[in-house]
Amino acid sequence: MVRNKAVLIAFRLVLGALFVYAGAVKAAAPLGFAQNIRNYQMVGPSLSLAVAIVLPWLEILAGAFLILGVWKRGAALVISSLLAFFIALTIVTMIRGLDIECGCFGAVDRKAGLSVILEDLAMLYLGLCVLIKKEGTGSTHYAPSDIARNA
Amino acid sequence: MREGWRVLRQALVLGVLGVLVAAIIHHPLLKRLARGEFRDTLVQAAEYPGLRLITTAEGEDLWRGGEAVFVDARRSPAYDQGHVPAARSAPVAEAEKTLPQALVDLRRGQLVVVYCEGGDCQSSLLLAKRLHDEGFQDIRVMTGGFDEWTKAGLPVEKGHGQE
Repeated sequence: MVRNKAVLIAFRLVLGALFVYAGAVKAAAPLGFAQNIRNYQMVGPSLSLAVAIVLPWLEILAGAFLILGVWKRGAALVISSLLAFFIALTIVTMIRGLDIECGCFGAVDRKAGLSVILEDLAMLYLGLCVLIKKEGTGSTHYAPSDIARNA
Repeated sequence: MREGWRVLRQALVLGVLGVLVAAIIHHPLLKRLARGEFRDTLVQAAEYPGLRLITTAEGEDLWRGGEAVFVDARRSPAYDQGHVPAARSAPVAEAEKTLPQALVDLRRGQLVVVYCEGGDCQSSLLLAKRLHDEGFQDIRVMTGGFDEWTKAGLPVEKGHGQE
């Protein structure tokens, strides 16, 4: 896992921006996203819409918190959990042989397949790097307080 | 261990915040959902293999290509105020039992793009399902609807057009 503080900040900003964008495009068209969720054939129409209403805002909030550096590990946990779920869902969808749109980033003509899994895995890596790294100890240089604590 | 609980608590609070914000922003939609309004608007892909959702940009490409027939599922007054150029008016209310008059001349293999207002409008999807049941095999629903079409600065035609 990456330990360099500057790289971790970059990871945090990139991942946060990606989630704010992904959430915003879904929040703008809840019915279209609900249809995407429905296509996975895991939940009924009402629950599809309920998820389509809540999930984008969870993505936006977690992304925004990550960008702002507020509760960044909590936000990273939310995002990593979502990504792990998306990856599992896409794998199950492929196993079931469903030829459906992924519903990711508001794209309506992108199939749930290997490229989506790889993309989610890359984002999961960023999320886990932020999640695992303890706050305030990301630099390769130790702060005086760290030295005092370790003494 | 204590740090782990702290992170978990942050994540849970974020989850609750997400639900609250979504409930506040989308409360009109949630009210309609509670009334059971959307039970028939979401389709199973397996049941409607010829039906696909498309973006406004994809809709624009099809419109510029000239091969697709655009169908406006909104009410007639909204259509008269402005619609996608050359779109045919087929208000979904008229399509409940039979194929709307404006579409009877279309062959069933014709590529059809259906739209309504945009956002959370349902009529385009309802009409698309109706067209599917009538035997149409290539139906696209432009989910952004007329709102996104106008916001994108795309051409608009007024009046009765090809109603």
